[in-house]
Amino acid sequence: MAEDKLLAEMQVLRDRVTGITGTAVASRDGLIIREDTGGTDPDNLAALAATALALAQRLATEAGQGILREAAVRSSGGYVAIYAVGTTAVLVVLGDEGLDIARLHRESRSTVDSIEKLLP
Amino acid sequence: MNIAISEDDLVGPLREALVVAAVAGMTGALRVTGDPGGTIHLSDGRVVGIETPGAPGPEVLLLRSRRVSESSWEAAFAAAVATGGPMGAELVTRKLIGSGELEVLLWTAVADAMFVLASGTVDEYRAEPGSVDFVLPLDPGAEADWLLAETSRRLQVLTSLPARHDRDRIVAVSGAERSDVGQDHGEILTLADGRRTPRDLAFALGRGVYATLLQLARMHEAGLLVTASYRAGLVPGGWRPGRVAPGGKPVSADGLPRRTKDPADMSRRAVPWSRSRDLSAPLGLLRPRSRRDGRPGEAP
Repeated sequence: MAEDKLLAEMQVLRDRVTGITGTAVASRDGLIIREDTGGTDPDNLAALAATALALAQRLATEAGQGILREAAVRSSGGYVAIYAVGTTAVLVVLGDEGLDIARLHRESRSTVDSIEKLLP
Repeated sequence: MNIAISEDDLVGPLREALVVAAVAGMTGALRVTGDPGGTIHLSDGRVVGIETPGAPGPEVLLLRSRRVSESSWEAAFAAAVATGGPMGAELVTRKLIGSGELEVLLWTAVADAMFVLASGTVDEYRAEPGSVDFVLPLDPGAEADWLLAETSRRLQVLTSLPARHDRDRIVAVSGAERSDVGQDHGEILTLADGRRTPRDLAFALGRGVYATLLQLARMHEAGLLVTASYRAGLVPGGWRPGRVAPGGKPVSADGLPRRTKDPADMSRRAVPWSRSRDLSAPLGLLRPRSRRDGRPGEAP
């Protein structure tokens, strides 16, 4: 089933990158598609992430900096990283303070590409 | 199963890098790439701090354990930035932590991070001399000899522990009564949801990875916890201490350590570390080498 493959891709990313505590995939209009967050409210997360991605893309455009690759929120207790998946979806990655950011940058690209192929 | 592991086998490449940096009296950063890899900060050849995704640093240890509140930390940090003074002194001045307690915490963090670096894989390291960029440095720093000996000791203990700190996802056994166990155990039982590895638990609690592993071993033996699943790593074949691609020699012209993985060695990654040269001289007796004597880092 496509949904299980989607979850499998999300779990591969969490396996590969130290410090990821959870992930979620949402639609661009803020509805959760699949979540593996381990406790964070997925509906709120989806709505906020979709909005944040849209804003981040507008910022990138405004700054004349090309195509957005990642929008990241860094806090005292961890990270939220957001990626566009094609034009219809959003990948959200939650990480703790020790998130391996360099590895996340390397691995997220293939995850985003794989997820894009799995979505209708 | 108890394998007799010599100190040299366990910490080979890190030992190499640290010894050369110590002898050179290096100040700056030693970048270690691998899994988890990280950065070792040195001042005059002594280790003052280590950053790695694999272990909580001093800030996490203070904040997550709630020893210092986040707002207090932010205020102290802002003041330290404004005055240009060290963060440690600011924390102590504001009576957020005693200087003795802070020093112990910083030692704990350095030893813990070195243990995590050594028990992972090391692909390459390179030295970046310069100023120290670390928010809570140990002053004076830890000597390489001591750090390596302590790390070897912990790695030896690790071989007999049930869970691997970076791979095993731990879950509380259903029916484990939280009221029956101490508060320490209770916290772990709540957090052990089958998603977190010992490293993740250490971060969530604001405690060292090694100390967490020891506690988890006790709880495992008491039947309170089991391994629920495993993180699939990047390298197949399972964990082994000090596993690293052999080969490659320090080639830095300025005498500072540099070790680069040879692509041809990739197929040999499953082989346990074996010393490519004789480093039988005790650490303390390695003498600084001038460039005329030969390649940096080689024993006489």
